[in-house]
Amino acid sequence: MSLADRVERRRGQTLPREQGAVSLDLVIAIMAFLAALALGGVMIAERAAQSWQAGLTGRLTVQILPQGDSAPESEVGAAVNVLRSTPGVVYAAALSDADNLALVEPWLGRDALVADLPFPRLIDVRLVPGAKPDLDVLSTRLKTAAPHAVLDDHGRWIERLRSTAGVVVLAALAILALIAIGTAASVAFATRAGLATHREIVQLLHLMGAQDRFIARAFEWHYFLAAFAASVVGASLAAAVFTAAAGLDQLGFAAVSFLPPLGLSTAELPWLLLVPVTAAAISWATARISVISALKKYY
Amino acid sequence: MVRFENVGMRYGAGREVLRDVNFALEPGSFTFLTGPSGAGKTSLMKLVFLAERPSRGLISLFGHDLALLKRFDLPSLRRRIGVVFQEFRLLDHLSAFDNVALPLRLAGRRTADYRRDVEELLSWVGLGERLNDKPATLSGGEQQRVAIARAVVAKPDLLLADEPTGNVDPEIGERLIRLFVELNRFGTTVMIATQDRALIEATRAREMRLVDGRVIEMRGMR
Repeated sequence: MSLADRVERRRGQTLPREQGAVSLDLVIAIMAFLAALALGGVMIAERAAQSWQAGLTGRLTVQILPQGDSAPESEVGAAVNVLRSTPGVVYAAALSDADNLALVEPWLGRDALVADLPFPRLIDVRLVPGAKPDLDVLSTRLKTAAPHAVLDDHGRWIERLRSTAGVVVLAALAILALIAIGTAASVAFATRAGLATHREIVQLLHLMGAQDRFIARAFEWHYFLAAFAASVVGASLAAAVFTAAAGLDQLGFAAVSFLPPLGLSTAELPWLLLVPVTAAAISWATARISVISALKKYY
Repeated sequence: MVRFENVGMRYGAGREVLRDVNFALEPGSFTFLTGPSGAGKTSLMKLVFLAERPSRGLISLFGHDLALLKRFDLPSLRRRIGVVFQEFRLLDHLSAFDNVALPLRLAGRRTADYRRDVEELLSWVGLGERLNDKPATLSGGEQQRVAIARAVVAKPDLLLADEPTGNVDPEIGERLIRLFVELNRFGTTVMIATQDRALIEATRAREMRLVDGRVIEMRGMR
């Protein structure tokens, strides 16, 4: 006996639980699982965007583009000197070849041939927190000292990250909306089927003087409890997936090293409770609207 | 209490099953509705308990012209009517107790307030030991008694019963009629559709005879 059955039995339910209810429970559990995954996706994308942005804010990168097989070493030194003399810069140092190889390893792998590629020399620059040096002036000074220097304040990269995260969030919200509509449609269909199945009971209650809202309440409660119980199961499964992913991340089994961790923290997991609460609310409202509109046809 | 003036009724585009029906049930009256099968007794009852609308004519119930009432006003009128359906129409998933208590629940009363009344009434109709039994486990006569208990439990202003003693033995039948008479004595207007002549003679109530959709005879006074 399901939770919904037990609660309804205690309430002296007006309607019996119809056949086929298990199918609806299954549909709602699956919908809730997908909704919880989408909601978790929103949180992961938001968190990733914030952490990437935090990691890049207050930093600059200067590239000395390669000429032939390598970047001119003299320009690297000149650029570092210009940077170190710039107000607001607390750190400026060129990355070693080993650092360069480590950076490209996730994309190109660890291969002897990779080392032979003409990489630019990178200079990592850190700023005093809150410092905003005039980048146009700095860029001009760098060009003068090192003609092949390119200043990158990561603005474009941050902007692209932001828009990518925004797209992920929007896509997840669209998925959530579709799932909500799908859940509502399923419940509306089930409610109408329930009304047809319980036509005799509904007619009797109507003839005995039950207000439409009394009859609707029996359906509302039924679908509210059924949807809540089923979606708790679905959301719990999703929570288990996120918890497992977080565990794998901690053990060092990240799916893709440069992507953010795909797990949810213990502070984030409670947000998944929104899924059963929303599913129950949607089911409640859908059942109410469906029943009351159907009862309007009765004398 | 109930007044019909030139009432006609047809189902869909079919022929009229009731034609030019005129009668009035005064408050506190006891009336038998008789007539052969197919005469329109059940259709007439359906008009009175607001299950169907007339095709023509005027029906007044508890002083309200039904044609002027809004749909929202009808449930409160329906709750003043107790109905014993010919086919009982019990809720199979509810116990005898919950079936009988249904009108009280619809009236918004709480279980603690009506538990004793419902138990006493079920004992009175001989089902005191079967409070928690579902209709499927009750005999036809027992189901009929549950249906009657349900119709009278809220002490309705108007009680309608369609062949209420059809499935019970004479002793129980007599007891049920005594219940109706008792209710009538306390002010409930009663109309019973039946073909049981013995019942009509024993009660000596007014008789309204329906033949082929028309009221052809009114006999007796009560």
